[in-house]
Amino acid sequence: MPFFIRSSATTLAASYVLLGILALILFALPLSYAWRAAVDDSRLQILTEDSQRMGEVFNRRGAAGLVSFINERVGLQIAGERILLLTDSQDKALAGNLPAWPVGVPERTGNYTAPIDLDGHSTMVQLVRTQFPGGYNLLVGRDVGKLSPVTTRFWYGLAGAVAVLLVAGVVGGILIRRALLSRIHSIRQTVSAIMQGELSHRLPTGSSSDELNTLSLTINRMLEQIELLVHGIANVSNAIAHDLRTPLTELRSRLEELSLTRPPPAEAFAEVDAAVADVDRVISIFNALLRLAEIDTGMRRSGFVDVDLVELCARAVEFYVPAAEIRDIDLTFKDESGSLHASGDQLLLAQAVNNLIDNALKYTPPGGKVTVSTMRPNTETAGIVVADTGPGMTATQRERATERFFRGDASRGTPGVGLGLSLVEAVARLQGGSLDFAEQQPGLRATINFPGAR
Amino acid sequence: MKVLLVEDNERVTRFVTKGLQEAGHTADHADNGRDGLFLAASERYDVIIMDRMLPGNIDGLSLISALRQSGNQTPILILSALADVDERIKGLRAGGDDYLTKPFAFGELLARLDALGRRTRQDGTVTTLEVADLRMDLLSRKVARGTRQILLQPREFKLLEYLMRHAGQVVTRTMLLENVWDYHFDPQTNVVDVHISKLRQKIEPEPEHSLLRTVRNAGYMLSAE
Repeated sequence: MPFFIRSSATTLAASYVLLGILALILFALPLSYAWRAAVDDSRLQILTEDSQRMGEVFNRRGAAGLVSFINERVGLQIAGERILLLTDSQDKALAGNLPAWPVGVPERTGNYTAPIDLDGHSTMVQLVRTQFPGGYNLLVGRDVGKLSPVTTRFWYGLAGAVAVLLVAGVVGGILIRRALLSRIHSIRQTVSAIMQGELSHRLPTGSSSDELNTLSLTINRMLEQIELLVHGIANVSNAIAHDLRTPLTELRSRLEELSLTRPPPAEAFAEVDAAVADVDRVISIFNALLRLAEIDTGMRRSGFVDVDLVELCARAVEFYVPAAEIRDIDLTFKDESGSLHASGDQLLLAQAVNNLIDNALKYTPPGGKVTVSTMRPNTETAGIVVADTGPGMTATQRERATERFFRGDASRGTPGVGLGLSLVEAVARLQGGSLDFAEQQPGLRATINFPGAR
Repeated sequence: MKVLLVEDNERVTRFVTKGLQEAGHTADHADNGRDGLFLAASERYDVIIMDRMLPGNIDGLSLISALRQSGNQTPILILSALADVDERIKGLRAGGDDYLTKPFAFGELLARLDALGRRTRQDGTVTTLEVADLRMDLLSRKVARGTRQILLQPREFKLLEYLMRHAGQVVTRTMLLENVWDYHFDPQTNVVDVHISKLRQKIEPEPEHSLLRTVRNAGYMLSAE
């Protein structure tokens, strides 16, 4: 039970019920006041009309006629709860349903609402006092302290509404709490599972767009990113183990052999040079991995500036044209966007575009074509496309192309460590975009999509 | 050149000092920030090599800031294992003139030291550069070898200008990438070599009068010899 009280759903439901009751009462108060004023007015009118009618009776038939008229009315019980009293100049009661002139009635004629003494009780009454010639006094009144059935019903109705609201609120609160708790419970279970290392779990989500669902979707996206990163780290560790071990093994055996065989200086120096080259290879893999890690943490996003992608691509192409000419490849740049800017990291974007061109040149046979273009396929996405006429990639290769240290069959015998496209993909991801590959006849079409480009 | 090396790793110190001496320079050494600051402030050096992470209270960057604040304008090359782009920017902002990450090739270090040491002596207002019979007019942007005009594309002009400004010095591929193309990454393939050989074809129609030499394991050198 204490848990029930502490539940935020319960607190919420309870406050809503209280608020509802308060609103109902605040609504009823002016209503009841206005209604009562209207009743008072109409009652006064009835009392005034009554006393006028009796005045007419007095004028026509004199005091005796009025006494018999009043007695008739009291006898027929037409008076009801009304107060009727006619007295003479000595204040002696002549007719009516009161035995004597009550205490507390003001001396003057007119209408009043005042407490008077009736049967020993002080009672609130509305009165009209009239004087006739000869010192006769007429009192017509009505007890207002006693609630009429209508008023009673009004207050009963209000109490009923409050009761209904209370019950509905409590039942609603329990239902809401139950629904909310079951969803939170399932979220808690999933999160516990994830905390125990089962990263593939996801929070249950529905199609609605309520807050919990939106939150679940956001958390799921976060989990995806975490899973990706964790797998990335695992993959990198494996890849490092494999790909750094190979050159390190070579280096070690080279040095050990040198130490064992002690060859003549000329040969020894050649071996040392080769060892330095081995180390350089390790360093370049290392640098590439560090750069990737730097990108993956997303920290470089803080240094984003406005980058002119057209200029960036034009420069990259200009940089590679001489190398392409030597291999008899036609490398060209085509700007189909007019102008393309993105907020990004100049250095990383340049490196990404250069890697794509480098890659395309590596796989395109002599006589082929590599085309770099900046385009704006529609208003939402824009991109850099590098298309070549090389052998292309199979579907499996396309899928694995951006994996770290993955190298396609076609890359055997070419320099590189298999991190180039990983970097391009990581840069595209940092930009909020993606790296896509498509087959073309012949060759491959690599596109860096920029959702934020202008 | 007189060089100050502030570096706490003994092996790196030995390697660099020996290399500098063989190249004909003299080198002083400090293995902590306090001694480094004392030496840099009390002696005149042509260039300072500064490690970033040093034992003691003063790290490389605060040492550089302290020197710059006291008006010392000696060129400083930062030699650091911190290789992130941001770290590099931090180093240059603190007042460093060049940034080389560990591990490094000695040839690269020497070439960059030469470029830094020479810069202090170079007058910034030159309008023509000359190496043997190769002339470059920086105002009209014309290049001639002897009497023959040479037509260069803008980037080739920039490449040749950099080489001529550093005539007689070894210029590494990385230095060319950084200064001519503003690329602070390694493009893996030998694209710079291709640019050089294209430039060579233009400025040296007869290979026997070669000005632009390839220096093994280091880079290139443009010189009259």
